Amino acid sequence: MIDQRGETMSYKVLVVDDDPDVRSFVVTVLEENQYIPLEAEDGVAGLEMIEKYKPDLVILDVLMPRGSGIRLYRKLKTNDHLQSIPVIMFTGIALRSFLKSQKVLDEFDNGTVPEPDIYLEKPVEPEELIEAIRQKLK
Amino acid sequence: MSPNKILIVDDEEIIVRLLSISLRSDGYETLSAYNGEQGFEIFKSQSPDIVITDIKMPGMDGLELLKKIKETDTDSEVIIVTGHGDIDSTITALQYGASDFINKPVRDESLAIALERAKAKIEIREKLKEYTENLEEKIQEATNEIRRHSNFERLLIKSSNDAIVAFDQDWKVVVFNPEAVKMFGYTAKQILNQFTIDALYPPEIAAVFKLQAQKENNQKTLPWGECFLKTHDGRNIPVRYASNVLHENGQFVGTVNFFHDLTEIKRLEKELLQAERLAAVGQTVSGLAHYVKNILIGLKGGSYVVDVGIQKNNTRKLISGWNTIKNNIRRVSDLTQDLLTYSKNREPEFQVCEPNKIVEDVISLVTDFAASKKVEIKGDLDPSITRITADPKTIHRSLLNLVTNAIDACLEDENMLKKHEVILKTYIDQNNLYCFEVNDNGCGMSEETQKQLFSPMFSSKGGRGTGLGLLVTGKLVEEHKGSIDVETWQGVGSIFTIRLPQIESIAGEQ
Repeated sequence: MIDQRGETMSYKVLVVDDDPDVRSFVVTVLEENQYIPLEAEDGVAGLEMIEKYKPDLVILDVLMPRGSGIRLYRKLKTNDHLQSIPVIMFTGIALRSFLKSQKVLDEFDNGTVPEPDIYLEKPVEPEELIEAIRQKLK
Repeated sequence: MSPNKILIVDDEEIIVRLLSISLRSDGYETLSAYNGEQGFEIFKSQSPDIVITDIKMPGMDGLELLKKIKETDTDSEVIIVTGHGDIDSTITALQYGASDFINKPVRDESLAIALERAKAKIEIREKLKEYTENLEEKIQEATNEIRRHSNFERLLIKSSNDAIVAFDQDWKVVVFNPEAVKMFGYTAKQILNQFTIDALYPPEIAAVFKLQAQKENNQKTLPWGECFLKTHDGRNIPVRYASNVLHENGQFVGTVNFFHDLTEIKRLEKELLQAERLAAVGQTVSGLAHYVKNILIGLKGGSYVVDVGIQKNNTRKLISGWNTIKNNIRRVSDLTQDLLTYSKNREPEFQVCEPNKIVEDVISLVTDFAASKKVEIKGDLDPSITRITADPKTIHRSLLNLVTNAIDACLEDENMLKKHEVILKTYIDQNNLYCFEVNDNGCGMSEETQKQLFSPMFSSKGGRGTGLGLLVTGKLVEEHKGSIDVETWQGVGSIFTIRLPQIESIAGEQ
């Protein structure tokens, strides 16, 4: 896709969140900033989308039914083909709780998964979100 | 040791020698003295068992010697050797305590008899002494034992952490231990043998103990109970009490009561309750804040989308953003309603209604939403239940809540191969209760979740639940005098059952 400013290529950004209101917000932010939005409503659907469309960035909720964001994040970071995709965690869960869960899972899996590139705690202003996206997609 | 040392006192040497020879041949040990003074000296230094003395002697005579010996040792056996016709001396000797008399000339037989008698007396006396000493020792021992026991018991009563009060058969106080002094605020002196049970206890408590004493056969020991006691300074203190009726040989001899001061425990209980309440409030507030924050996120996101729609004249965006805003307005209104329902005491509004119709309403309300999530809603309704008296709002609200939860449980389930469904059943159980069952094959619950199900602001749905749903449902059902139960198996599903009683009286009026 070619955007209005004539850039040759727009980035594909996948938003994985079970709350349709959140998706609608993020999708609008993405569209307003000339990214191509992709949507998934849970962790399982999210992984399918990632494998199918190879997005340039994933915006990921943590607490979701059917395959939580925690699990999807770890799957991405331990998959050779997918681990280079940057991930923005976008969630109501405090970073501290998230890191704690990661530590427990690290011990359980007997391996370390890197911390997420960017961790945004809801509520997030559109400007904040877009700044975080730009930072990852220069 | 048998007595066998004999002192012979006589001023005639020959008689002493002859007697000595004779006695030695019989196995005695003999000592000889030839006058009173010498005899007394030997008596003091050698302590013979028996003394045989002549009466008539120069210097200290036999009577004088007898007197001195008896003064020294009343138990000593002194045999007096008398001549014929010496009646006065004999009487005096008897008065002085002579043991026996032998006539002169001393014949072996009479001497032997006198000695045997003396020996027997000594032995008896010794045995008696031994017995007496033993008896004293035994009495001492027994006394010590009794004293030890009673000391121990007194100490036990004295040092008990419980107040111990005992009454005799006339209901007078006979035991009032230090803890009782502390508890009641009277001194033991004021109470002991002065107060009766009626003066010490409030009438209802006194009545309990008196009744117990009357019914001694079937209730000798009262189980622990709780009551209030009035203290000397007029305070009412909460106590735990136990009581025993005392019998001796089947006769009622009194009652003993034990009191444990509960003031501190009650205070702690109150504090704990307060702490729990505070914690619950804290939990509620933080849960609420979390939920409200989520609504805010929705509203902000929605208004951003609406802004974009307005700027770009994009109807699709406008609709989407507006839907988000409406959604979140609905969440606020649900939350408000839940909070009000939970905080207010509401009487159910009983009326004749058709429960199966209510269930069908609920099913039709959620079917479309459930279908969009690939969850099927089914009804399994007992047609014999037609009209019942109940509060239809309670049934509707509770079922809607349970069904929504059931759908969430299906969405939460990670088993994608399962065909998820929620079945609503109505039936009458063996206790004649109307049952409403919501049965899902979703994710089920862990034991921990199950435990917290009905606690305020507990939600397993992240920010999507108010944490009030089941609490409100539980309250509604309770107000309806019904019950709500859950059975759950992790990974298999859950069954929630609401049971409502039949309300005949109201049904009859209608």
